[in-house]
Amino acid sequence: MGIADTIQSIGFLTDLRESALVYPIVMTTHLTCIAVFGGMILMTDLRLLGIAMKDRSVTDVVNQFRIWKRVGFCIMVTMGALLAGSEAVKYSGNPFFWAKMCFLAMVAVHAIIFRPRVYNNTAAIDKAPSLPGRAKLAGALSLFIWLGVLSMGRLIGYYEGPGPAPAKPLATVTQPRHISQVAR
Amino acid sequence: MFLAAAENPLNASDLIFPVLECIHIAGFTILLGTIGLVDLRILGLGLRTQKPAEIARDVGPWTLIGLVLVLISGPLLFSSDPDMYYLNPSFLVKMVLLALAIPFHYLVRRKVALANGSGVGSKIVACTSLALWVGVIFGGIFIGFVNQLR
Repeated sequence: MGIADTIQSIGFLTDLRESALVYPIVMTTHLTCIAVFGGMILMTDLRLLGIAMKDRSVTDVVNQFRIWKRVGFCIMVTMGALLAGSEAVKYSGNPFFWAKMCFLAMVAVHAIIFRPRVYNNTAAIDKAPSLPGRAKLAGALSLFIWLGVLSMGRLIGYYEGPGPAPAKPLATVTQPRHISQVAR
Repeated sequence: MFLAAAENPLNASDLIFPVLECIHIAGFTILLGTIGLVDLRILGLGLRTQKPAEIARDVGPWTLIGLVLVLISGPLLFSSDPDMYYLNPSFLVKMVLLALAIPFHYLVRRKVALANGSGVGSKIVACTSLALWVGVIFGGIFIGFVNQLR
């Protein structure tokens, strides 16, 4: 048995995968956290770019959102790990899943680079006559990386495994394609 | 109003649907993120340096942008297979919640936020707002699962 097989054979992960109710609830929680806390990441990025919340100081925006972004990130990652763990065999062979993981690794790199220079240095940014380039760069890269995470996450559900895809007649919709049809 | 699924040009490419979904998710992230910020502020749970009205005015345009994105991408997604959605109980629940959430946001929640409401009534409004929008997401996700539950 491979590692992925071992992971998804863990009792509660098997239960999760096989539950018609719990699986979608975990997924909804994942998506809700993305919505609420991703929205905060977005507003922080837009503030750093000088596009939104211009009447608020960068310090206010960064510091006040921080705790919520952390809470959201923890719930989001927990739910995501449950979803991926319960379908570990499918996910481990899915290139979009690994693309998403790469984007998440870029989130970490982004934090290492920009936390000391931007997020922990907001007082200097607020004092500057105009938004410094490093703040804008941090905001723009963060937006790009998170959109990558989001898009790759969605595309996980569309990967049909290796080998030639069965020839499908054009435009026949036989069963619901939907946001929730992720790799099931 | 809607084409049969097989005639819809949207179904001609395998890529259009997932791309629309990404736009839909990005849209509701903007929508819910900005609404959630104001709701959390009304509940006194965060951003206490600013007044609810200040935050509401800051994020108002972005809420609208998010709403426009979902209201464009949503009907297009729907049009890919109208019969499936129309007959799907979770989709119907989602539509009912959405039909409640949008007017509630602009007629009730917005006024409470702009009046800097912080009393019990305002907090109930904020909780209702959060519950309605999270309900819309639940309705959306369960479209793909509801048939397994029966």
